[in-house]
Amino acid sequence: MSFVSTILNAVGLIFLTHAVYSAHEHTALSSTSQSSASGTPANPASSLPLDIVIELLVAVVVLSIGIVLSSTPLKPIQWNKWAGAIEKNGRKENPYRILEERVGFWDVRS
Amino acid sequence: MAFPDLLHPPSHTSQSSALRLSQEAPRILAKAPTSSLPYPLSLLSSSETEETWTIYENLFLSCLRTGDNVSARKCIDHLTARFGAVNERIMALTGIYKEAAAADTAALVKVLDKYNEAIQADPTNMPVRKRKVATLKALNRPADAIASLVELLDLSPTDAEAWSELSDLYLAQSMFSQAIYSLEEVLLIFPNAWAMQARMGELLYLSYLSSPADPSTLSEALRRYCRSLELCDDYLRGYYGLKITCQKILENAPKTSSKAVAASEDLPPPSPAKVEKLHELATKKLAEIVRRASQQEPGWDGYDEAELIAARALLDRDAEVIVR
Repeated sequence: MSFVSTILNAVGLIFLTHAVYSAHEHTALSSTSQSSASGTPANPASSLPLDIVIELLVAVVVLSIGIVLSSTPLKPIQWNKWAGAIEKNGRKENPYRILEERVGFWDVRS
Repeated sequence: MAFPDLLHPPSHTSQSSALRLSQEAPRILAKAPTSSLPYPLSLLSSSETEETWTIYENLFLSCLRTGDNVSARKCIDHLTARFGAVNERIMALTGIYKEAAAADTAALVKVLDKYNEAIQADPTNMPVRKRKVATLKALNRPADAIASLVELLDLSPTDAEAWSELSDLYLAQSMFSQAIYSLEEVLLIFPNAWAMQARMGELLYLSYLSSPADPSTLSEALRRYCRSLELCDDYLRGYYGLKITCQKILENAPKTSSKAVAASEDLPPPSPAKVEKLHELATKKLAEIVRRASQQEPGWDGYDEAELIAARALLDRDAEVIVR
């Protein structure tokens, strides 16, 4: 699972960087060429080519999947599962341990 | 932190780890936690963290447990220097040290007199009151211990630790109804404490064994075990209790079935078919837990060794009956 998520994260980052760089280059190029041709500034967002938009969206989706896959396992939110995990792991985190151990009443001489 | 075990009270750690911790004591104690400079400057140079004093307290208890009174004395000296000798908690810890150092019963009675003086000076000093109960218990005076604990609970009726201790003291005297009452108080404070629900089942089962007159005690025990299993998945102690309670009910079934209908006041007893099903479930789950824990499957390796052995013995006894 960690191998797949690493690959997805790497691919997503490359695509994202590439898409952002392409968008930047495209706006820089088209604004200079348009301003030299007609003198009126065009709206760069509307003239962004479809392949850059698609690349950006794919990169975001791939990255999201990669991040979700590489996240740590979720903690239990149901009482019985949480308590069961504590029991199976040796009761170290049991918040009710004090009721059984009772340090305040500890008999040192026993 | 280098010693994660020291952040928990030592009564739960194993003998070997307590010994290891108390062997580390001289090294931990060598680092002075407080600065020797006067007040405003000491704030700048102190190496105190949130955990420092928890570690000292638990190290103190570990040292006493392994009989290293010299290191324990050093711990308590550090704690007294930091918090002062009149701090309630420090008074109780100093008392523990004196209890451990007391050579004979007369010396222990002297410690008890010190506690009585402290309680007269401040009747709400709970840590010292608890020490008094523990000392009376060590002196083998259970009636006085119970009386003193009841007095404590009059002052502080929401102290679940004290109610739980009272329940155990009553149980040691075989006073089942009082023990059950005390445990009910614990459950009023912490209704979701699964171990206490199972403990309630155990008390009810024991009280049935001592006076097997009322079969509704057993069905109440069955309900308590079911509640503990509802609160905690794969709870070994709960399934163990469920299994032996079901066995007991099924043994008694032919005798009680005629009376049971008449005796049902609030809740009817569970039907034999239901008890049979619960018994099957408990057997299946116990076998699964024992199998997975003995194979040390990841996430299943924290069960208590003694409990696993007991569960295995119970299952083996069952198998023998079937073979015969």
